[in-house]
Amino acid sequence: MNIMQTVLSSIGQKVLLATTGLIMFLLFLIPHMLGNILFLFGPDLFNSYAAHLHKLVPVVVGIEVLMLVSIIAHMNTGIRIAVANYLSAGKRESLKSTPERSLAARLMPWTGAMIFIFIAKHLFDFTLGVDKMQVELNGHMVDDVYGMVYAYFQNPGNVLFYLLFMVAVGFHLSHALQSALQTYGLYIPREGSKIKLLSKFVAIAMASTFAIIPISALIYFYY
Amino acid sequence: MAEKINVTLKVWRQAQGEKTGRFETYQAADIDTDASFLEMLDIVNEGLTLSGIEPIAFEHDCREGICGCCGAVVNGKTHGSHERTTLCQLHMRKFKNNDQIVIEPFRAKPFTIIKDLIVDRSGLDAIIREGGYVEVKTGNAPEASTTPIQKELAEAAMDAAECIGCGACVAACPNGAAMLFVSAKVSQYALLPQGHPERTRRALDMVNKMDELGFGSCSNEYECAVACPKGIDVKNIARLNREFIKASLMS
Repeated sequence: MNIMQTVLSSIGQKVLLATTGLIMFLLFLIPHMLGNILFLFGPDLFNSYAAHLHKLVPVVVGIEVLMLVSIIAHMNTGIRIAVANYLSAGKRESLKSTPERSLAARLMPWTGAMIFIFIAKHLFDFTLGVDKMQVELNGHMVDDVYGMVYAYFQNPGNVLFYLLFMVAVGFHLSHALQSALQTYGLYIPREGSKIKLLSKFVAIAMASTFAIIPISALIYFYY
Repeated sequence: MAEKINVTLKVWRQAQGEKTGRFETYQAADIDTDASFLEMLDIVNEGLTLSGIEPIAFEHDCREGICGCCGAVVNGKTHGSHERTTLCQLHMRKFKNNDQIVIEPFRAKPFTIIKDLIVDRSGLDAIIREGGYVEVKTGNAPEASTTPIQKELAEAAMDAAECIGCGACVAACPNGAAMLFVSAKVSQYALLPQGHPERTRRALDMVNKMDELGFGSCSNEYECAVACPKGIDVKNIARLNREFIKASLMS
C-alpha cells in the first residue's frame, strides 16, 4: 500500500483531519488567545506585543504558511468526509438519533464552515483591509492595533458577529479535541471520560477567553 | 400474566426489484404480550396471506439473539430497543395496547434493500473474507498450553468476538460506517497471539474493503455502540485506528 492510498483511506483522511486541526489549535489558536488576553492590560502592552510579533518575521511567516496549508487540507478533507458520509448513510425514514450523539458532533461541518467565514472576515477586518494608525510607544512609532480593535468593537453589530462565531468555535472544539484523540487510537470511553469532559472545558474556556476582547471593549466604551 | 394487545404497524414495503418502497399500515390484533416481535410479524403475515396480500419479508434464523440475521429499525431504534437485544429477543410486552409501531429496514448505501425489511448485508461478509481468519499449520492440534494468554486479553478478545455481524451499527451510524463491526473483527485477532501473523495485512485489507464498498467513516459519535445488541464497545474502534496507523507505517 502506498502513502497516497493510506492517506485517502477513511482512517487516513480522519488522521489528516485530526492532525491539521491540532496544528491549527496548538500553533495558532492557543498563541492567539494568549496574545488577546494582553488587550486587557491596556494600549501600551498590547501595541508593544503586536510590534514585537511583527519583528519575528521568520516565525510568523512560517506559522502563516503552515496555517494556510493546514486550513486548506483541513477543509478539503472535512468536506470530502462530510459528503462521502452523507452519501454512505443514504436516506433514513424513521431512524432517531440518541443523546449519545452530541449537538457539537452533529454540527461539525456547519460550525467548520462558520469558522472559515469568520476567519476570512476577521483577516479582512484586522489585517488586510485596514490602514492602521501610528502611535508613539517608547520613542518608536508603532501600529495602533489596540486603537483599531477598540474602535472596531464599538459597533455592537461587530461584537455580536464575533460572539456568534465564538460559539461556533466552542462547539467545534468540544467535539474536535476528543474526536481527534480517539482517531489517533487513544480510547475515549462513552461514559465518564475525563478527556471528553476536558475537551468540553477547554472549548468553553477558549471561546470565553476570545469573547473577552469584544465584551471588554464594549464595556470600556460605554462606562 | 400474558395479555392480548392490538397494535398498528407501519411497515416499509418494497417489492423485489423495486427502486423504492412505501410505508403500509396493517393492524395486528390480539397479540399475546409474551410473543416475540418476530412471532407478532408471523401472526400478521398469516393474516396477510389469508387475505391475499404478499406477507412482509423479514430475515430471521436462530431467534435467540446469536445469529445476527434479524434486524430492523423499529420506532426509530435499531432492533427496536437499545437494551442489548436483537429484534427476535424483543417481546411484545414492551409495547402498549393501541401503540403504533413503525418498522423500517436497516439502511445504509451499501445495504441495498432486497425486499421489504430484508437488506443485502453481504458487504460485511466481503470484509470478513479480507482478513477475518487466521492461518494455522495443519497436523495434530497443538498442545493448548504452549501459547499462554493473559486472562484480560482473552476476555477482551471474547468481548470483541461477541459481534454477530447484524449490521445495526451501520444502520445507526449517521455516516453509514461499518467501523464498529470492522473494529470488533480486527480486535478479536489483534488481541490474541494466534492472530498476529496476519495482523498488519488484516487491518489494511479490511479497512480498504470497507472503504471500497462505500461504507462511511467514523466521526466518533458513538451511536453504533448504543445500537449494538452485543454491547461492542468503541474501545475497539480506537484499537482499529491504532492497528491501521501502525500497519500503514510498517508497510
